[in-house]
Amino acid sequence: MEHRIDHSLARTARAALTRGQGTLGLGWRRFNASPYRTLLVYLLAKKWLFFAVLVGIAMLDLPLPEGLTEAGRIVLTMSVVATILFVTEPIPLPAVALLIVVGQVLLLGLDSSEVARSLMSDSVLFIMGSLMIAVAVVKQKLDKRLAFLIVRFTGTKTSNVCMGIALVSGVLASFIGEHTVAAMMLPVGVTLISLTSDDPARVRRLAIVVLLSISYGASIAGIGTPSGGARNAIMIGYWREFFFDPGNPETFRYAVDYLKWMAFAYPVFLIQIPFVTSILFWTFRPKQKSIARAVVRLRAQLADQGPMKPADWATIGLFILILLGWILLSDGIGLGTVAVLGAAAFLVIGLVRWEELNNGVNWGVVLLYAAVISLGVEMKVTGAALWVAQSFLSLLQPLGVDSGFGLWAAVSVLTSAVTNTMSNGAAVAVLGPITLNLAVVAGEEPLVIGFITAISSAFAYLTVVGTPACTIVYASGYLRTTDFLKAGWKMMVVSTIITLLAAWLYWPLLL
Amino acid sequence: MEVSGDKRFRILSCIDGSDESYRGLHYAARLGSGVDADIILLYVRAVDQDMRSGGLQPRVFRENLLDWGLDLPGINYLKKGREALAELGIMSDHWTERAVHVDRQGDPLGDNSIEYTNRAGKKIVLKLIVAPDIVEGILEECETNEYDLLILGASERWRPGRRKSFWDPAVAEKVVARAPCSVIVARELKENYGHLICTNGSEHAIDVARKDAILASRCQCPISLISVVPEGESEATAMEALTRTRQAIEAEDVVVEEILPRVGDTVEEIVKAGARYSVIVIAPSEIRPKWWLLETDIAYQVMEHASNSVMIVR
Repeated sequence: MEHRIDHSLARTARAALTRGQGTLGLGWRRFNASPYRTLLVYLLAKKWLFFAVLVGIAMLDLPLPEGLTEAGRIVLTMSVVATILFVTEPIPLPAVALLIVVGQVLLLGLDSSEVARSLMSDSVLFIMGSLMIAVAVVKQKLDKRLAFLIVRFTGTKTSNVCMGIALVSGVLASFIGEHTVAAMMLPVGVTLISLTSDDPARVRRLAIVVLLSISYGASIAGIGTPSGGARNAIMIGYWREFFFDPGNPETFRYAVDYLKWMAFAYPVFLIQIPFVTSILFWTFRPKQKSIARAVVRLRAQLADQGPMKPADWATIGLFILILLGWILLSDGIGLGTVAVLGAAAFLVIGLVRWEELNNGVNWGVVLLYAAVISLGVEMKVTGAALWVAQSFLSLLQPLGVDSGFGLWAAVSVLTSAVTNTMSNGAAVAVLGPITLNLAVVAGEEPLVIGFITAISSAFAYLTVVGTPACTIVYASGYLRTTDFLKAGWKMMVVSTIITLLAAWLYWPLLL
Repeated sequence: MEVSGDKRFRILSCIDGSDESYRGLHYAARLGSGVDADIILLYVRAVDQDMRSGGLQPRVFRENLLDWGLDLPGINYLKKGREALAELGIMSDHWTERAVHVDRQGDPLGDNSIEYTNRAGKKIVLKLIVAPDIVEGILEECETNEYDLLILGASERWRPGRRKSFWDPAVAEKVVARAPCSVIVARELKENYGHLICTNGSEHAIDVARKDAILASRCQCPISLISVVPEGESEATAMEALTRTRQAIEAEDVVVEEILPRVGDTVEEIVKAGARYSVIVIAPSEIRPKWWLLETDIAYQVMEHASNSVMIVR
């Protein structure tokens, strides 16, 4: 009986809700059903694509600026359009890479084989190889042993645990890349949080400091060594491409090897570590001063892993060999060759299957970097980068920041702003040719400006999409986008000051 | 594709882990307490921005999380929702369970749902879907599976006194503007305080009032009516509108508890009087405005300025 009454109620309710719909918003409903709606939805979704195309057409249609060649204008137009598409993403980013390739052939009139050759360089090989190594390392499940080490040494005080997480994340990320470390450390962080309380509301501030310790710890470390991130390999490639001449010994310093990079950048990373924990605790002030319960439970979970297995030792040994290869051999055979060799070794030994690497690496990213680096080289070849650098410098002159410390600060701020809107590798690939030419025009040392550009590209602390580590920890579901803003601006200020101080006081000792 | 039964009243309750979304779910449970109503709990996960994870596919770190025995965020939120329904006694008797997985957007986790059905055919569905963005996911779900009512929590920044973003409206704001069905935006949603239905005496307003009255009668929610006329007009005009609306509602065997004739600013009066009720019920203009003109519509202004929950009836 009750069943029937309820059905009757449902019919009445539905009838009531649909009654009168024949007149209510009829025009709108007709429009909804028409193909025009599909067209309108498509146009709205792709508005930034049309905007980028219009900007491109306008740039090509304007009178040629003084000092810029026609080829330079085309490359500059392609760069501006690509940048708009990187930031707004109306189309998949690999599609932007494909359009860059096509544009170089159709708009610049370059030979397609020449363009194809320009896509593969040691930097691209390095990016490809290190991504495969990253997947192979994550697959070895060494994260549990790492977690055990951290909680064994840090004790149970929340600030110590967070400092330990930031330090371990940082040191590892400086060698194997922030994305690898974030992927490995995310379960450690989430487990600590969930063992403290099942109720996300009660552990919200704790979750922020733990997870941001992972992401910021890894982000500041990505600049520590050339293998820390794609941006480093890209900058090393640009120095070599733009300034290195095998016949001129004076240019040999532009062939930056692994150790030389570390000498410049590693101290900058190390000095930042204590600031990460301080800033996070100062900003979010978690209620739990100690997470003894979670640490004890995590230790108990991890203690029964048993002794290290042969595969674990093989992974560690292989990684040390790859590291030694980067340090000792990269000057001769290139960072990329060592990275690819390392990836091949993981496959040959059988620590990882090709299917796992193939599924774990986003090959679109490799294509994207290849295309952007290729465009960056064209920026230099056609003189577009030089023209932009001169124009930018003329803008800085009235402000009195066209040389020295002021120029360094301007480059750092420009790079920080750009890197918060696109991936740091793409930011360096786009800005590198411009800032390096800026150094030439302003009479500054290209190594200093190059390091400032590469290091500042890591200051993408403000947004979820700023760095891979931020994107990965955000996927835990514990963070809000505003959390990155609250602590990120403080991190940006501290990181910028430390970098500029290093450029002023420390790097001159190495030049 | 899920087929919607013609005879069932379907409520879509959006869950994002916030307290507001669970208060909305409690209300959905009350409205859908009859056996003929289905409640669908929806969590929309924005598709992974795989180009942003530095070249590692998101599946690498997601699989790592699962390997540690950790649930993904949306699953936890939906489980909490199911527990809340169990505590309310909605899922106390025997229920059969059916899990469905659909590959989506190239995302390895895809869309997942668990459908619970009891002997009387009532369904509770936990649904975790992947979409390019949250708004598109909710709207696509509404359009694909034809819901009668959508309940979602008000976004934190879409509240009185909060700074609004012209370029990036809050999720609830965008969903309300485009949803094809009636929508309740939950703000501090309290039960048992009844519905305040706004009317101006037009056929459209009376029709909307009648629809909501029938809906409210499902959960024994008391109904009140309000009509506001501008300064300078007679209160008798408001009273006339209220009388006509009351007659239409009572013709459906639903009792109107209180009528409130008011003179003054429409939005201000409705917001002020509505604060005492669980939900303010209002209809948008018959001619649906273009999205950039939303704020000219009284319904959307009430939605924006009210401190409690508002229902837009379509």
